[in-house]
Amino acid sequence: MPTTATPLRTPVRARSGTPTPRRRVRSGRGAAGTSRSERLAPYLLVAPAVLIIGVFRLYPLALGVNFSFTGDGERNGQAVGLDNYTVLFDDPLFIASMRNVGLLVLLLPVAVAIPGLLATFIYLRVPGHRVYRSVYFFPAVLSPVIIGAIFNLLLAFDGPANALLGAVGLGPVDWLGDPDVAMYAVVGVHIWATFGMALVVFLAGFATLDASLIDAARVDGASLPKVVRHVIVPGLSRTIQFVVVTTMIGMLTSMFGLLYVMTGGGPEGSTYLPEYYIWFQQGQMGRPALASAASTVLFGVMLVVGLAQIAVLRRAGRED
Amino acid sequence: MKRRALWSTALIAPLALYGCGSAAGPDSGGGGGDTLVVWDWKSGDATAESYIGQAKADFAEKHPDVEVEFVAQPFDQYYNLLGTAIQSGEGPDVMLFNGGGQLRDRTDALLPLEDYLAEDMERLAGWEAFTADGHVYAAPVTLQGHPIYYNKALYEAAGLDPEAPADTWDAFVADCERLTEATGADCFALGNKEGIGIQFFLSGIGPGVLTPAEYDAWIAGERDWTAPGVQRIFELWVEAEQSGLNNDGVNSTAMFNDEFAIFDAGEAAHVIGLMSDVGHWKDFGEFLGAENVGVMPAPLVNPEAAPSLPYDGGIGYGVAEWTEDPELAADLVRSLSSTKALEAFYADAGAIAADTTIDASGAGPATAAIVAELPTGKPALHVALSAETLELMGRLSQQLLSGSVTVEDALSQLAESDQAG
Repeated sequence: MPTTATPLRTPVRARSGTPTPRRRVRSGRGAAGTSRSERLAPYLLVAPAVLIIGVFRLYPLALGVNFSFTGDGERNGQAVGLDNYTVLFDDPLFIASMRNVGLLVLLLPVAVAIPGLLATFIYLRVPGHRVYRSVYFFPAVLSPVIIGAIFNLLLAFDGPANALLGAVGLGPVDWLGDPDVAMYAVVGVHIWATFGMALVVFLAGFATLDASLIDAARVDGASLPKVVRHVIVPGLSRTIQFVVVTTMIGMLTSMFGLLYVMTGGGPEGSTYLPEYYIWFQQGQMGRPALASAASTVLFGVMLVVGLAQIAVLRRAGRED
Repeated sequence: MKRRALWSTALIAPLALYGCGSAAGPDSGGGGGDTLVVWDWKSGDATAESYIGQAKADFAEKHPDVEVEFVAQPFDQYYNLLGTAIQSGEGPDVMLFNGGGQLRDRTDALLPLEDYLAEDMERLAGWEAFTADGHVYAAPVTLQGHPIYYNKALYEAAGLDPEAPADTWDAFVADCERLTEATGADCFALGNKEGIGIQFFLSGIGPGVLTPAEYDAWIAGERDWTAPGVQRIFELWVEAEQSGLNNDGVNSTAMFNDEFAIFDAGEAAHVIGLMSDVGHWKDFGEFLGAENVGVMPAPLVNPEAAPSLPYDGGIGYGVAEWTEDPELAADLVRSLSSTKALEAFYADAGAIAADTTIDASGAGPATAAIVAELPTGKPALHVALSAETLELMGRLSQQLLSGSVTVEDALSQLAESDQAG
């Protein structure tokens, strides 16, 4: 922070000091009038942006937080203190949804490694890499509803996935009906559906990689794993960080469609995520205040995750 | 430093508003002057066209200068949209409801209609599902119930008498063994992905377990979740799965419409279905032939039980509390449940209409069996439960099937939820 603050402060000091001769020449009226309009100008210029953020972002946010301290149903409109939060943290469904957020964070490396590895193979020109490049991106253009419907059929108990398992002599897996499996199945489908976008980002990162470094490493006799570990990964550190951040945001905010179509939060409530829980309490159960409380908790979680990511990015930026 | 202060202010500002206002919005009026807006999920269906037409004509006769606008909402989003409308206090004047929990949870937003509908009380059946705390909040359009359907062709193939299905649970299980042996079909088609399977099971099998006194007490709200009968129903739910009566993958099979598709395809001999809309005699008849679809009473588990057809008002139109002219809106509700309109609905949409004066004898043996049972029928067991308890029951039913909760534990959780609600 201190390093960036110094250049900013210099012009401010010049303005607040004695008026420079140049300014006096340009202004026909008194110095006082000029300085007032000049002082107001920046506020006027940022006003639209501030208003939009204030009216459409911060005010609704404040309202939502406020509503989380009011009651539902018969207690509609009454201040109930922390009751909603007590209910929330007593609700096994909400606890399950928060646990699933933790699971998503744990699965994040997998979600980043898959497009990273595949992009590496394409970059190293494995046979057919041109075909793979477009094939990998294809699922990214499908809507979650369509993908969910397709995988509902594929992963049905008597569907093709289990038929395949049966053919190789393995017992059937109840992909979407077993609470220990369902969340992994949905996350797997989500990764399959979205890794194309991360792959493109990785390929763009590879384009900036210095090919002569890899050639030099090869000449020195480095094996492929060593090239990946010591040349490619360090060279792509910025890209990897970007993909980590966008993938995390994608997993936390855009799984709703898949969940809705594939499991509906079940089986046994094992695939609830906070946003699904919020939707469920607000619309299905008619408890908007409880949903507001859940939203507030989700906001807090996202704030922590977001700030942590910004901190990581900033530190990495300084290293460059 | 200044920036940090600004941010803290922005984050703390909400606390200044701590607990004022309400999440559900103020109770304010809405709706137009000479236009009545109706929300439902039916009017968009081609099969409901003649019904809506008849109802509109009937209403136009009484109020030629009032316009009626039907807004068909997608059903899977319906209660979400309605919930939002109710919170804003601005929405339709007249709205369609499923009987039971969905309606009872929203009576705050509805107008008591018993004074307006007094003349229809005799003609229509199924009022209980639209009644809460002694007030009637909607007029029934269709009846919804949970008959046990069976496939007569499979019975014949297995050498069983299709006209005399088993009347005790033990005989029923024995029949199922023969059916599976002879035809490869499962005993029950069951899909519990949405957690609704248990509701149908409770209402379909329950009448063969509970004594009439226990049954009536349950409906009246005196529910003893620790009673041996109630426990037996949930044990049967687990036993049926463990002894292989159900199709595979129950928890990942959707009731709508994979469960019914299994029955349609002749891959299961029985299904606890519906009476109206979907998963009913008309659908099954189209695939299996109307003559091959039978309806049987719940097999007796407890010899003291007296099985009756479990049914309630299925769907019905209610009036929003914020409507400008309640009498006008109530008149529209009456038109929507007039005999002519309901006759059209029964004939085209394949619903058992709430009007007891309609003759339904010509639509095959299953329909005849259902209609014959109507006079002695009772409200379904699960309809008496709140939406919250039903949701919990859905989750617990999946846990029961996977063995991660015991029947005793599930029942104590349900009892707690039921008493809280």
